Amino acid sequence: MSLQKDTDHNEGKFLHKFVDLKDKDVLEIGCGEGRLTWQYASETRFTVAIDLDRDSLRVARVDCPSDLKDKVHLARADSIHLPFAKEKFDIAILAWSL
Amino acid sequence: MAPEGMVHALSEVRRVLAPGGILIDLRPVADNWPVEVVSLREVRRTGRVLDLPEQTGGDIASNQAMDEVERRGWFIREQDALFSFIYSWDTPSEMEEFVKEDWADFIDLDDETKRATRATWAVADGDSRVRIRMNVWIARCKKQNPTMESEP
Repeated sequence: MSLQKDTDHNEGKFLHKFVDLKDKDVLEIGCGEGRLTWQYASETRFTVAIDLDRDSLRVARVDCPSDLKDKVHLARADSIHLPFAKEKFDIAILAWSL
Repeated sequence: MAPEGMVHALSEVRRVLAPGGILIDLRPVADNWPVEVVSLREVRRTGRVLDLPEQTGGDIASNQAMDEVERRGWFIREQDALFSFIYSWDTPSEMEEFVKEDWADFIDLDDETKRATRATWAVADGDSRVRIRMNVWIARCKKQNPTMESEP
């Protein structure tokens, strides 16, 4: 399959235009295979990226760039019951998940 | 997800956000996205996708949920925009296969669009690809401290 996504890189451009992620604790809901995550996580202090799809998370774990392994935590979780303490994150990204 | 479920999910997001935290809502929105054959030299529109009820209904439900949490004073929208997000394939048949397998609940391609895309691609420049140009919505919302009566 020759599929290419977001060849203009607009998603990352607009995300950066809309929010300053530098040194922030970020929760991404619906990370999938990490397409968006890899575009911003290096700037954050810490990123938790969740998804319900096991296969996508498996791909994300394999694809996670080595320089992000200590900064990005990938987990299977549902947005209906977020398994985190209150007021833990500075930024939450609903990535194609609402 | 039903609007009530979305509102609940947004209440969870609000709970885990620090005071003044930012919610980014990023999602595709139905708009009969254009289908195009594109090369370095030119872009030729060959039709539009057909939006199916699952996609349009999902957009309505998401918008209602965001409106509701703003009404409750949980978040205030500070900024929003639409931008293009391109899905691109080497050939029309790969696009058709992807739409059938991955997006069957959300969009469809009518016969005329398929025919026009195949015909245009067949005589286009050698570097030509086919693409669907989606509209993606992004909104920045700030967590608010609502009054007691608007708490869940």
